[in-house]
Order: sequence, then C-alpha cells, then structure tokens
Amino acid sequence: MRILGLDGVTFWYPATANPALENVSLDVGPGEIVALVGRGGAGASTLLLIAAGLAPRVTGGRLAGSVSRGARAGIVLPTPWTQVSGMAFTVWDEVAFGAANLGWPAHEITRHVDRALERLEIAALASRDPATLSGGELQRVIIAGILAMDPDLVVLDEPTAELDAEGTRAVWRLVRSLAAEGKAVLLATSDVDALPDVADRIAWLEQGSVRALGEPSLLAEDAMCDAGLGTTVAGLWHAAGLGAPYPLTVVDAVQRWR
Amino acid sequence: MSALHPFSLLAIAAALPAFAWILPAPGGGLATTLIAMGLTLTPGASPGSTSAGLTPGWRSGLVTFRTALVIAAPFWLFLRLLHDGPTTVAMGLRITTMVASCVWLVAVLSPDRLVEAMVARGWSLAVAYLFAATLSAVPVLKARARRIVEAQRCRGLSPRGSVANRLRALRALALPLVLSALHEVDERTLALETRGLGMGVRRTPLAAPLDRTAERVARWTLLLLCLTALIRRLA
Repeated sequence: MRILGLDGVTFWYPATANPALENVSLDVGPGEIVALVGRGGAGASTLLLIAAGLAPRVTGGRLAGSVSRGARAGIVLPTPWTQVSGMAFTVWDEVAFGAANLGWPAHEITRHVDRALERLEIAALASRDPATLSGGELQRVIIAGILAMDPDLVVLDEPTAELDAEGTRAVWRLVRSLAAEGKAVLLATSDVDALPDVADRIAWLEQGSVRALGEPSLLAEDAMCDAGLGTTVAGLWHAAGLGAPYPLTVVDAVQRWR
Repeated sequence: MSALHPFSLLAIAAALPAFAWILPAPGGGLATTLIAMGLTLTPGASPGSTSAGLTPGWRSGLVTFRTALVIAAPFWLFLRLLHDGPTTVAMGLRITTMVASCVWLVAVLSPDRLVEAMVARGWSLAVAYLFAATLSAVPVLKARARRIVEAQRCRGLSPRGSVANRLRALRALALPLVLSALHEVDERTLALETRGLGMGVRRTPLAAPLDRTAERVARWTLLLLCLTALIRRLA
C-alpha cells in the first residue's frame, strides 16, 4: 500500500524547454519518512509541489508520467511569512484557517487546532498576533496549521530553515511521531545530520533525477561525501581517508572508536 | 465603529460617496465630506491599528484623518488647474468624500471579520478572500516599503534631499516593492491552496460577527435613502 506514488514523472515549468524533474519514480507508504537531499536546483522543491498536488495544477507547466495520491496532502513551504493567511489576528485563528476551509464542524476544528498547538509546543502563543512572531515561531504556526488539517501525507520543504536548535529538534521529534501515527512524510532538508535519526529512506536528487535511493546509510557513501551531501561525521571520516563504511553520526563514530 | 458588522461598515463607506454625487453641490458634498472626515477621527480608525492590535483612540484616528487629507490634497490641486472655483469645490468635496470613506474603511474594517461575515452569508471563500486580501494588502505593503527604505538607506541611498535624489530613491523603492510583492503572490497562492482555499467546500465560520436587527434595518434604510435621493435628483 502506498500513499504517494510517482512513476516516471517528468515536469516542465511554464515556458521552459528543460524539465525541472526527469523520469522520477518514488513511493511513500504510510508511516514512512522519505527525505530528499541534493544541491540547490536539484528539483527537490518541485518534487514536493508535485507530491502535494500543487504542480502543475497551481504552478502551471506540464507533467508526464503518473502521480497517484491516495490521501489528502499538506505542504509546508520554507518561507513562513509568505504562508500566513493574512486573515487571522491570532495564532489560534491562523492555525484554524485550513481546518475551517475543509468545512469541518466547529468542535472538530477546535480539537485538531488545540492538538496541533500542543504538538508544536506553541499553545502559549495561541492569542498572539501572528504579525508579532519571530520567524521560528511563525514556522511552527504554519506547520501546526497544516497538521490541524489532519493530512495523511505531510510534505515539508526545509521545515527547520527558520528554527533554532531546540525548535529544530522539536520538529524532527514531531516528524517521527507523525510517522508513528501512520502518516506518510516526504521532506526536503539541508540538515542531513539529522536524517539518520529521522528518515527511513533517502532520495538523492541531482539535476532533476533520482541518482540514488536507499537507507540513511546512503549518506555515508563516498559519492555523497564527495558531493558534500554526506553527514558531517561521514564527511570527516571520508576526508581523513579512514576506511569505509563511514559512521553516520557522532554516536556511530564513538562506537567505532571503542 | 470597528465593532459594527462588516456589512454595515461597507454600507456606510459606499453610501457616503453615493450621497456626495447624488445630492446637489456644494451643500451635499460638504455634508458628506464632513461626515466622512469625522468618521476618520473615530476611535480605532487608524491604518494598521486593527491588525497590529494597537489601543484605539483619538491619536490613531488623527493618523487616518491625516492620511485622507494627504491623499485628497493633490486632487484639489489638479481640479483647480482644470476648472473654475465652483466646479473645483463641488468635485473636490465629492472626491474627498470618496477618499475619506475608503481610508476610513481600510482602517476600521478587519479583513478576517469581513471573511467570516461573507462566509456566514454563504459567499464563496475565494470571493471573500479577494475582498479581504485587498484590504489587508495596505499594511503589509507599507511595512515592506519601510523595510526596503531602511535597506536602501543602509546602502547609502537617502530618500531625502533634492527632487532628483527623491526620484532616485523612489525608483529604488518601487522596483523591489513590486517584484517582491509579485514573488510573494506566487508563494502565497501555493500556501493558500494547500490550506484549502480553492477546495470549493463551504468554510466553517469560526466567529461570525453578530449582525443585529438594528444594523440590518439601518443598511436597508441607507439603500432606500440613496435610491430616493437618486430618483428625486433625476426627476
């Protein structure tokens, strides 16, 4: 069973000759976390827009291949200030914006919004004006807004870009707990050091194509370290000329030394 | 005033310019101008005050009053260049009513209450959002323009000094302002889509504003008065 399936997907943005994605195939099942890694312009954000059902429906452009999505998807974009509804003067209303748009009964909206606020540890901000929040706080509000809609597929584009270290850890914990509930998570991040503990599978994108797909140990392979996409520990091991397989994390490295 | 139902605020803001054009000049225009300018002084009427949660008061009302005056002043200048004295007064008062009504409406009407009111009446959310986004764009663009001016100042471009200096500064402000606004439209479209704006499902009103019977009667009365005045004027 899969929640998202991309089979041979090629996508062109409007008025462009070269595809942003080329022949991409990827499945995401329930309870699974798939992380996309790659250099800027590799096509990760485009793939996420397709997964969320926004490309080509909203962005325009042309898609070849097939996309199957068996459930409702919600996407969090990297810049929180462009994602506020502009229609809410409190954080609670901002988080409730999407849930209200689904036409749910008021008590259902309240239940989901309160839960999302608690999960993002922002219940104390509920009565604040979103315009007065920091970038990190706003990012958590936006994520809460998507979770309040109870999507089966959660799509996250650089979800920790605006967050401090504690906020980043909280989001990764949240991602794991979402997967534990059976939700499928597809994310793109440059925080590769977190991925061994977060992701079930890694997809390495290069120039719009999937160059490699596999377990997080992929982040410790020579090719990824050469491309600067391995974890910091693996990169150090690789640069020092120590023998493969390289450790992924500090904990792995410590165990190896012992 | 901001406690009134959004439709009542819209009705007042629409009725005043209508009366200004229907009633004989200059008396009609003078009366509507005085009312509209008076409204801009009402507590809570300040651009951005509703969204920023500032304490309402006469001081914020003065900002709205001044904004209306600053916007209306050039119209008087151009009218004086093109027309004789009586026509300038007649047209100027009408235009001032329109300007003051719009400025007051933007200041006093909170977009989220408008959306809730429209949705509660069965309007499509996309249409309601179009109205509300127009109103909420003013403080957003103002804040962004302020940031761009500060950034340009850091790079040594002063918006003060000679006319040439000011024109250069204006160009340096306008281009990034327009481009960033267009870029934001793209991202905001994606964000709103994913949050169900285009789903075509009837939105659940979270806190529909109270629409009192007295306000409904007042709105219908305003409409009838406008129609009566129009018929009498045409007769």
